[in-house]
Amino acid sequence: MTLNMRTAAIRVDGLSRRYGATRALDEVDLTLEQGITGLLGPNGAGKTTLLSILATVSEPDAGRVSVFGLDPREAAERVEIRRRLGYLPQELGYHRHFTVAGFLDYVAILKEITDRRRRADEVARVLAATGLERRARTRIRALSGGMRQRLGIAQALLGRPDLLILDEPTAGLDPEQRLRFRELLSGLPGDPVIVLSTHQADDIAAICPKVVVLLHGRVHFAGTPVELAATASGRVWAADARDPHAHLSWRGGDNRWRHIGDAQPAGAELVTPTVEDGYLLLSHAAGAR
Amino acid sequence: MRPGAEERDDVALLRGVRRGDEEALAALYDRHAGWLTLRMTRRCAMPDVVDHAVQDTFLALWRQAGAYRGGGDVAAFIWGIGVRRLIDAIRRENGARRRLPWRAAEPAVVVSAEDQVLAGIEHGRLGQALAQLSPELRGAIEATVLDGLTCAEAAVLLGVAEGTVKSRCHRARLALRAALADQQAGAETPAHPRQAWGTS
Amino acid sequence: MTSPCPDAAGPVAGAGWHAGADLLASYAAGTSDEVATWSVEAHITACGQCRSALSAQADPQRLARNRSVLLVRTALPDGGRTGRLVRRCGVPDHLLRLVAATPSLRRSWLLSVIGVLAVVTGEAAAVRYGWIRASGPRRLAGYPDPEVLAPFLLVAPLLVLAGVAAAFLPMVDPAHRLAVAAPFSGFTLLLARTVSALAAALVPVAAAAFLLPGPGWLPVALLLPSLALCTFTLAATTVMAPRGAAVTAGAMWALPALLLAASHVPLQIVQPDAQFACAAVLCVSAVVLLARRDHFEWG
Repeated sequence: MTLNMRTAAIRVDGLSRRYGATRALDEVDLTLEQGITGLLGPNGAGKTTLLSILATVSEPDAGRVSVFGLDPREAAERVEIRRRLGYLPQELGYHRHFTVAGFLDYVAILKEITDRRRRADEVARVLAATGLERRARTRIRALSGGMRQRLGIAQALLGRPDLLILDEPTAGLDPEQRLRFRELLSGLPGDPVIVLSTHQADDIAAICPKVVVLLHGRVHFAGTPVELAATASGRVWAADARDPHAHLSWRGGDNRWRHIGDAQPAGAELVTPTVEDGYLLLSHAAGAR
Repeated sequence: MRPGAEERDDVALLRGVRRGDEEALAALYDRHAGWLTLRMTRRCAMPDVVDHAVQDTFLALWRQAGAYRGGGDVAAFIWGIGVRRLIDAIRRENGARRRLPWRAAEPAVVVSAEDQVLAGIEHGRLGQALAQLSPELRGAIEATVLDGLTCAEAAVLLGVAEGTVKSRCHRARLALRAALADQQAGAETPAHPRQAWGTS
Repeated sequence: MTSPCPDAAGPVAGAGWHAGADLLASYAAGTSDEVATWSVEAHITACGQCRSALSAQADPQRLARNRSVLLVRTALPDGGRTGRLVRRCGVPDHLLRLVAATPSLRRSWLLSVIGVLAVVTGEAAAVRYGWIRASGPRRLAGYPDPEVLAPFLLVAPLLVLAGVAAAFLPMVDPAHRLAVAAPFSGFTLLLARTVSALAAALVPVAAAAFLLPGPGWLPVALLLPSLALCTFTLAATTVMAPRGAAVTAGAMWALPALLLAASHVPLQIVQPDAQFACAAVLCVSAVVLLARRDHFEWG
């Protein structure tokens, strides 16, 4: 696969999608490059819709998508996209009677690896990458939630995809598992394009060098986490008391109050904003409209 | 470890494999996969093919461990399966579709005269005689005698026609017999120092 | 090459002799000559010590990788004897594995099919043996009242249809979105599952039809209606929801069957006229299905 380094790997232009009266996506424009991009937004923001359109599982109502220069509306190009794709949907169901190895073998067949020896090679490779080697014979229904999540990631890695779409992959992972997940993603051969969605800002800070904030079906920010944090600079304060005029206030772990607002509350000092602060500010502004 | 004790361990592991004990299969693999891989590599230069053949061998052991009838080296039994898996793998690589039966030849309880010779009894003179053979003839003898393959199987391994294997074996045996007869008639002591096992 | 063990006073085979480290190293590296190679190979067949020494020369990473692949392959079912038989018939291994994940092939479904059929057949047999009086006035030559067959004629193709519908309704395939996002053709997957579900469901139906007290051509006569219903349902799925398609197909069979039973001529549904109608439905549905098969490539 050759990639023109000056054109983006994934381009999305004017993407729109409705479900009944709800606008799940509203004129979304986006470009995605190699490396990890985080899609941040609350539940219902349209992340799953966007990811399922990128994964060629759903069709948009309007707008264009280009994946590695291919158009999913053309049948032959769509199959080609799917050959380069690894997808972890949000609610992945498993055939309950399958073992871990049996399920991965099944997905490998769906990815057109027809030779059973090559399939076994691939299954062994992804089991090793996700630390599930000792679970090859375990039935899926006997796995813990965290291991099922790892299995979901393992199946997405089959076939060495160039595009990895992961919908809420960190849900149910503890901090140590999340660290291993980040190491796993950073160590993938071939430098694929990785998009993952989450509603937690600290996932972004921990894992993603690039972030896109999606609110009410629209893109409100695209850049690095540092830039996202910087959007709140000058507007985040820490104090010992509540401030009723701040946009947002909450009590932090250090027993001090944190406020996000335009005016400095009494007795508060300016603090360096975090990614979460930037996200909350954007979220509040979007909600106010 | 004395040979007898290790042999008993292997037999015990095979019994474990027959019971479906995956740990026993893993232990058997740890013991035998190393030499099996190296020995297969000397017959086939494609590492992927050898990898698959090694896997197929232990998989065959896993699925049909009951075929080992006892009496004879477990290693010979494993090699008997392995070399046929290797031939299957080569055939697949070449696109052929027929499958060989995987059943290993029963390892001979009585060591044949050929085996005794190969193990080094008359090694010096035989070594010289073998060294005089051309590589093609040596390859044919090796496949049919050392590996115990049929001419059809040897043909796949060597990449030649079956008839060619047969005629090469015939010529090789004639040449060896002649060379050995010459040596016995000719000299009491070998003209050269012993080849492989001699001092440098 | 150096001489090995101090025991070896001469070219003597037997317990005292072992292959030296240099010899094994050159064998492992592929540089030993033919004769040395032969000797090593003949020797290690019998000598565990030299075998271990030789094994130590192999690449440990490669061995570890093959070990984990081996353990994966032992964890994967190969289908047992039926699997080997089917593969020998030329069916590709991967299709077999895909079909094995078909919900409607699960034994429980098959058992329920057999169960329902048994009930229906039992009812028909009960009538035949006079335990239940049949109410209709007509009799075919040599056969009991054809009305006895009415429940079976109603239910049999519907059971086949249900088996097939279960094979492709997305709600029954929990990993459906994965299948859509994958390059393997959704249509091929559907066909493979449908054909195997059809076969699985037809066998008990045909067996029951064979056993029933009725015309001998009954099993064959049920084949075309079953095929027609299933093909119609698949074709209809490309324009309406799967459940609606299945219900429509079911109604297309059930209504005529009920009407004919009410008119005391239930066997009309499997007479040549009806067979031609089924054949026509089958052909039209097949054409529509092929033309619109792209529908199955989306989620």
